[in-house]
Amino acid sequence: MSAAVDCELRVKEEEGFLLHLSECKECRDEFEDAKKTKMIIKEKIVQFKAPQSLFNSIMELTSMSSLEH
Amino acid sequence: MDKPDPTRNTTTRTKKESLSKEERQKQLEFQKEAVVHLNSLYNYALHLTMNPSDAEDLVQETYLKAYRFFNSFERGTNCKAWLFKILKNNYINRFRKNSKEPGKVDYDLIKDFYHSIKDVQNDTSEAESDYFHSLLHEEVHQALHSLPEEFREVIQLCDIDGFTYEEIANMVESPIGTVRSRLYRGRKLLREQLEGYAKKYGFNTDKDH
Repeated sequence: MSAAVDCELRVKEEEGFLLHLSECKECRDEFEDAKKTKMIIKEKIVQFKAPQSLFNSIMELTSMSSLEH
Repeated sequence: MDKPDPTRNTTTRTKKESLSKEERQKQLEFQKEAVVHLNSLYNYALHLTMNPSDAEDLVQETYLKAYRFFNSFERGTNCKAWLFKILKNNYINRFRKNSKEPGKVDYDLIKDFYHSIKDVQNDTSEAESDYFHSLLHEEVHQALHSLPEEFREVIQLCDIDGFTYEEIANMVESPIGTVRSRLYRGRKLLREQLEGYAKKYGFNTDKDH
């Protein structure tokens, strides 16, 4: 089920899965729920922007280590 | 870590210049391949540490290490996955070393976070009023963090960071089948949590209504 949600099924597996869905309401519902849950996480978990100071210090770190060598 | 370079003693000025040119090229490539993932890495670190200053330290360490070992990065593979793995290892080492308790969640901190960035996010789908859209960012975050670590981790790597099962399996050092079942069980648990929130708001989560 999770593999179907994440498009990780092999072609053969997917065929079988879809065939089963067409016959089983319970799994259809669960599939919808699982997709929804994935979407909720994708949409609702906020991605923060890294602080500019962190970006700067990483740029500095990489150029500093080039001086060391 | 570097082996002494036997040619180095005889380095002439021109050789030195070409070396630094090489170094500069490495730097450019590193920026293009690795530094572009800074935001993802920072967010991953935030989820692990739940503390912005720890997260910054962790990300810095990761990039320093990554830069030092950039030559061992297999070109053409997923650099983001490579960086995540380094960060995770750093995290484990650090928390083992400090024998600090990982996974301690500071909910006030999460709240503050969300309030400080609330206005940045634009909610385009505000019109829809089902419970799905009524869920707040921080509630989903809390629900996610209430899951056992091994579930939370795979869900995050899969749904937020978009890694493949194979990449995730490699990162968490478990077989793909384990990743699959953790995702399945984790999502199920999460759904129960979220429906709990929905009920709190009086939304009917029964599909037939």
